[in-house]
Amino acid sequence: MSTRTSYIDRIVDGFGLDTDNEWPSVVRERLVSYGLLGLYVFVVWFPIYYILITSIQPTAEVLSLPVNFLPARPTIDNYVDIFANRPFELYTLNSLIVASTTTLICVTLGTLTGYTFSRHDFLGNKALLLSIVGARMIPPIALIVPFFAIMSNPPLVGGLTGSLYDTKIALILTYTFFNLPFAVWIMKNYFDGVPESLDEQAQVDGCSQWEGFVKIILPVAKPGIAATAILAFIFSWNEFVFALVLTSSEQAQTLPIAVSLFIADDFVDWAHLAAGGMIAALPGILFGLFFQRYIVSGLTQGAVKE
Amino acid sequence: MSQSSQSIRRTLDRLFVPLTVGPTVLWIAGIIVYPTLQLFWSSLFWTNPITGAKEFVGLENFTDLLLGDAGGWFGVLNPTFVNFTWHTIVYVGFSVSISFLLGLGVALLLNKDLAGRGWLRTAVIVPWILPYVMSGLMWRWMFQAQYGAINGVLMQTGLIDNKIAFLSDGTLAMMALIIADVWVFTPFIIIILLAGLQNVPEQLYDAAEVDGASRWSRFWNVTYPFLKPSILVALTIRIIFDIRALDLVWVMTQGGPGKSTEVWASWLYRTAMVFGRPGEGAALGVVLLAVTFAIVAVLYKVFGETPYAT
Repeated sequence: MSTRTSYIDRIVDGFGLDTDNEWPSVVRERLVSYGLLGLYVFVVWFPIYYILITSIQPTAEVLSLPVNFLPARPTIDNYVDIFANRPFELYTLNSLIVASTTTLICVTLGTLTGYTFSRHDFLGNKALLLSIVGARMIPPIALIVPFFAIMSNPPLVGGLTGSLYDTKIALILTYTFFNLPFAVWIMKNYFDGVPESLDEQAQVDGCSQWEGFVKIILPVAKPGIAATAILAFIFSWNEFVFALVLTSSEQAQTLPIAVSLFIADDFVDWAHLAAGGMIAALPGILFGLFFQRYIVSGLTQGAVKE
Repeated sequence: MSQSSQSIRRTLDRLFVPLTVGPTVLWIAGIIVYPTLQLFWSSLFWTNPITGAKEFVGLENFTDLLLGDAGGWFGVLNPTFVNFTWHTIVYVGFSVSISFLLGLGVALLLNKDLAGRGWLRTAVIVPWILPYVMSGLMWRWMFQAQYGAINGVLMQTGLIDNKIAFLSDGTLAMMALIIADVWVFTPFIIIILLAGLQNVPEQLYDAAEVDGASRWSRFWNVTYPFLKPSILVALTIRIIFDIRALDLVWVMTQGGPGKSTEVWASWLYRTAMVFGRPGEGAALGVVLLAVTFAIVAVLYKVFGETPYAT
């Protein structure tokens, strides 16, 4: 093929082709694949781009026509404003505390329990596992009435703590309801994939069950723990409905609520809302970009039992 | 090692199972079993919105919810119930089927041996990890009638002459909700299906190729059988999630305009929290619970194992 220039040759080589006469259809197929994926990625990222540029424009430019797709004078004023005029540092702190504490509880209990379900046969283990997994099938929204009632008037600790309504504790308790069964399930499936010979080796070496678990099993389980932790954190960070039902002030309201507060009855402060939205979205974007592998493994372990 | 620490060690070892499983079981019982029982209990009461007095009404909340004033389907069902159920079916049906087809297509493309596949996969996952509220508001802003990006694009490319008030028209608002939902949840489908595609043995494709199987027949006879479990999981989790999800609907349309995008989840929230009628909200919650378990049961039958919802 003397007519081909050398750089086309190199591109074609880059597509991993070995014979000359099959290149047109294979290259075309790959170009079509890239084209379709590129289009999809564009559609996926355009709204995020749009909210990003909205967040760095003054309100006057956000509300001007024709619609701007390139900000003329980028500014960080909206970000400064939401921290100056609204307690955004408190919302952020609430989100951090609630999401981290929930994650800590779910990862600790989920890892211990998941390990035992994976390794030990004990009376009623199947029924218990099924109940834990089944518990997660309960649609959260169905439970807003009892959760609101219980948190407003806690049945057992009421005499000691008073109402848990509008506290971070209420949110942490509630969010373990979504995440703990999920954590148990991911970790159980993860441990199922860890060879039992490791446990046996630990026993031969004279470790107690606890020592073996801590010294031998936990280090191997790090990727599973990471996946569980990332998902539990993201789920708690993003949660909206229960935060809406169980909180009413900045002492417990989280970022998703803070963002929704920009909607007044008939007016939406889009520029500031976009800035708040970007802050709320930041962990998701960062986790997505850097820990995609763990998110995928956790989700598939949680969703599809192999 | 001393005698006593030895015996503590042995005792701790004997208690390994109860100590590792016990706290989780107690926690879950407290945080799930108790509220669930409370849900059933609350659904039997009617609360006076003014005085807050509770009155035991038995199953009246359920009969009101499902039957109400006759006139709906078959002349016996509550028209409101029929109406909002229909919205839920439209919302869930379109969202799930569109995001499934789109997700399958993207998963098949991403499963190819393309350079930069890792980055592409990362790029398509992100919408699913953002707070749903932020996505909902983002799409509300995109569909905004005056200054929104969608009208902007359509106008500036000359596709339309007059701006469309997407969220002020019932049908268009439902369509906007479905688009946002597809945007948010297609990544989930992609992740689950990609995992399933990795189970397909490479040699089978080679064999099919040698046999001269068409692309379609390769998908149908090689890919599909291996992908089936993942497809069922992805669809079920999507359906269950969409039925009960409130976030997108609440921030984008609040069930409006009129009641044209009111679905079960927003109806439940409105009844229980906005109108302060916990008994009726709880009854609707029980119905939602029953429907969810019915769907799970169907899947359980198809699968023979426990599916899991995220």
